[in-house]
Amino acid sequence: MDKRGQIVGGGLKNILIREKSDEKLELGELLIAYNDLDLSDDEMQQRNYTVLQIKDVEYKSQISPAIHELLAGMELEGYDPDLIYLEPELTNYSVGIAKPMLNIQKKNRKYDTKSPKSLPNFFNPVYSIRTKDLEFLKPEKIEDSLYLGNVRSGSNVLNDLDVSIDAKDALTHHILIPATTGRGKSNLVKVMLCSLLKSDNAGILVLDPHDEYYGRNDVGLKDHEDSEDKLEYYSTDPPIGQSKLIINIKSITPKQVRGLTYLTQAQNEALYLIRNRFGDNWISEIFKSNDIDGVHPKTLKVLKRKFDNIFGIYTKIDENGEVKLGYRSSLFKGGIVGESTIDNITESLEQGKVVIIDSSKLNDPEELLVGSMILEKLFNKYKEYNTVELRKKPVISVIIEEAPRVLGKEAMEAPGNDIYSTIAREGRKFQIGLIAITQLSSLIPKTILANMNTKIILGNEMAVERHAIIESASQDLSEDNRIIASLDKGEAIVSSIFTKFAIPIKIPYFNEYIKNFQDKNENEQEKARTQTPG
Amino acid sequence: MKMSKKRHVHRHQDDKMYKFAHIADIHLGAQKTHELKELEFSTFEQILNKCIEENVDFIVIAGDLFHSNLPDLGIVKNAVGKLKKIHEKGIPIYVIYGSHDFSPNATSIIDIIAESGLLKKIFVPEVYDDGETGKERLKLKFTVDEKTKAKLVGISGKKIGLEKEYFKMLDIKSLEEEKGFKIFVFHAGLDILPRSLPIESLHISYFPKGFDYYAGGDVHTRFCTKDFPEYGPIAYPGSPFAGYPRDLEMSASKNVKRGFCIVEFDKKVRNIKFHEIKLVKYEFLSFNADNKSSHQVYEEILDKIEKTDFNGKIVIIKVKGTLASGKTLDINFNEIRIRIRNKGAIHVGITYYSLLSKEFDPIPFKGKEISEIEKSLFRENISNLNVLDDNLNGEKGVKLAISLMDILKQNQKINEKKSNYSNRILKEALKIMGV
Repeated sequence: MDKRGQIVGGGLKNILIREKSDEKLELGELLIAYNDLDLSDDEMQQRNYTVLQIKDVEYKSQISPAIHELLAGMELEGYDPDLIYLEPELTNYSVGIAKPMLNIQKKNRKYDTKSPKSLPNFFNPVYSIRTKDLEFLKPEKIEDSLYLGNVRSGSNVLNDLDVSIDAKDALTHHILIPATTGRGKSNLVKVMLCSLLKSDNAGILVLDPHDEYYGRNDVGLKDHEDSEDKLEYYSTDPPIGQSKLIINIKSITPKQVRGLTYLTQAQNEALYLIRNRFGDNWISEIFKSNDIDGVHPKTLKVLKRKFDNIFGIYTKIDENGEVKLGYRSSLFKGGIVGESTIDNITESLEQGKVVIIDSSKLNDPEELLVGSMILEKLFNKYKEYNTVELRKKPVISVIIEEAPRVLGKEAMEAPGNDIYSTIAREGRKFQIGLIAITQLSSLIPKTILANMNTKIILGNEMAVERHAIIESASQDLSEDNRIIASLDKGEAIVSSIFTKFAIPIKIPYFNEYIKNFQDKNENEQEKARTQTPG
Repeated sequence: MKMSKKRHVHRHQDDKMYKFAHIADIHLGAQKTHELKELEFSTFEQILNKCIEENVDFIVIAGDLFHSNLPDLGIVKNAVGKLKKIHEKGIPIYVIYGSHDFSPNATSIIDIIAESGLLKKIFVPEVYDDGETGKERLKLKFTVDEKTKAKLVGISGKKIGLEKEYFKMLDIKSLEEEKGFKIFVFHAGLDILPRSLPIESLHISYFPKGFDYYAGGDVHTRFCTKDFPEYGPIAYPGSPFAGYPRDLEMSASKNVKRGFCIVEFDKKVRNIKFHEIKLVKYEFLSFNADNKSSHQVYEEILDKIEKTDFNGKIVIIKVKGTLASGKTLDINFNEIRIRIRNKGAIHVGITYYSLLSKEFDPIPFKGKEISEIEKSLFRENISNLNVLDDNLNGEKGVKLAISLMDILKQNQKINEKKSNYSNRILKEALKIMGV
């Protein structure tokens, strides 16, 4: 075993470890302190040990600071260039300040884990962590687990120790991914989706404003071996073989319109009146009518203007002299086209598929509208299922970027667009959760943040944001402020009620990771020309 | 499809205007009774007569001219007689297979008639290996109409939505690069259409962009959209009479208009006109059995029959709901049929599959698409079994059954010997089963 240092003092909050002279301790590194030493092979099967994490490292010396300063001065000024310390590795050294993370009692193959309530034995050595020390992290069922990365001890990665959490539990209890730009957020989401594509028990809706997950022009989830059966991609401009994203204006409700724009009481009442009178054709009637009984002409005019602004709908005269609706946005259509889009998507999610909505060409309100329409439909469906039926259904999760748009204080107080906050608050009962990605966690109310029971914390240089995350984490991260600030690209900390401790992880590079999910036999098949009768 | 009242056509003097007819899903041979057979053929005749009357330059049939690939020869004889007249008028008829008259070994009746020159197949494929990816690609050759210079290209339908395989391989670039007035003929449903149309659907993104007209078949209800600027008009004329009993029901209950399209064009499509063919009247009677006894429902139906005029009509009766008491068998549907026929109806269709009795409550199939029904069937049947191997139970079992069925659906490939084919299928099947 790799001895790294020895416990020399401190307390439960911060254990002091003298560093072995040639074994540099790293910030965030995980160490093991065994509480029992010199055991026989049989006894080794029943060990008690504590996982420690280095929170800081400091210089220490047996010589007083005044002497160091004097010696440095003599060397700098050239008094005696050959001056050296006697036994320097004993005299000058570093002390790591560590926090006990988890106490483990191993009994044969069973692990009993507890949060540390007593100190490891004084003066005991500490060792580098090894895969077998954290064997208990391995999931029982790979197919229904959500893979996040590998255990990382400082900058050293334990490549053979995956960190996975139960997908069903984690997804319904919501996941928060606080990340600033360039810290590997989209890479993480792609890696997560890779493992979710393997599960039949999770339907994931991905609202993708940067069109970065499918891999239209690059490596992406389309390259996953299960993509044909399990992945669906909707875009207003789909690549060959993928679905065209069209919303028929008949599927839009007045409530959804309220979530997109400010409406006065008169306008609001007019919407409901028109909808009640004309049914699904209500938007079309707003444009085609110049006079609707019970609606003031000015209100009707303003509604036309507002609908033009939000949906890009206008009236035109076609070549036969008939009044037709025109659509500036490629998202909206009339007639019977696109009537089934929302149903198709909700059905795919109910089949445990991953559905990516490319919203890169949609504006903000359009993206949120599409998300709301799908989620409202699904939420109402799931609400109707009885407990037995619901248990058979896959859990649903929606990945939403810039989450404060829908979960921020202001957004949640606005009328209409409340499905996201409804899911955040009561989605768990109906197996529906959120994966919220944000640079600004501080804008999300504490009550919602506290309900996000898994946080995958990537590097963040903004102190206010770090505090918001630390305050709402599932484990005590009060000492981790500097560690979070120093996380490099692809490094993260997973704090979850489903992990035994806040696990530092390294997220693999997606372009490499996807190779594990590519059909290796593809080219080995016997080649025979496809027959084309007809 | 919204039809035009007037034509406002702005074009250059020297751009000559042409016309073509777009027909689909005639399903000759689908009907079993004498009266319906007659109506089916008369519809076909009327369409072709109208084509002559309208002076169309050519005719496009987007699949399912016949209901099966080798139909009754009497029907073929009559059809050929009519096609010959069109041929003599110098009107070419361009055709693709539909899902019904498809033949895996190119021996459909369509091929036989095409050999005689009365029909011209416009699915002219060439399969080649893509130099970059090494994967197979499907290149389609255009057929140029001699008179109008319109360029036609088609993809034949196949059974159970397997034409998707063609679309997956399609060399779209070469199709999009072709200049001129282009028509894309296909036989498949599209994902942009409502789910109420009971067909497997194809993503519209498989289609080459920039064609002037997309002539569709397989959807039995008429539909036309010009809402996609990247594509020209996409149209389905629908079935002009009926391919399935459901079509008769739609005609009767929803008053679906049936017929075909005549498209006018010069360098672009200028007008799409739907011509209705209506040779018969329909009567639709619907009864709700909820909270009623079987005898009450029966009495109600008989009473209604008494008061309704059925002379010369196709009559569709629909009974649905859950009987509060009694059995569905208590309602004598045979007697109902006889009484309606006696009042002069030429055909009586009765649907009561959604009539249930509280005494017997079968599990309804959820989902209307074939794949969903298959899945439900597997799921319901597997739930009644308990096999020792966990992989054969529950959702795993359903998945395995569906995967296995997908393998067994595969066709033999060109140059592939029968023994190689069966070996390949066997190997893939064993692999799926993990044996």
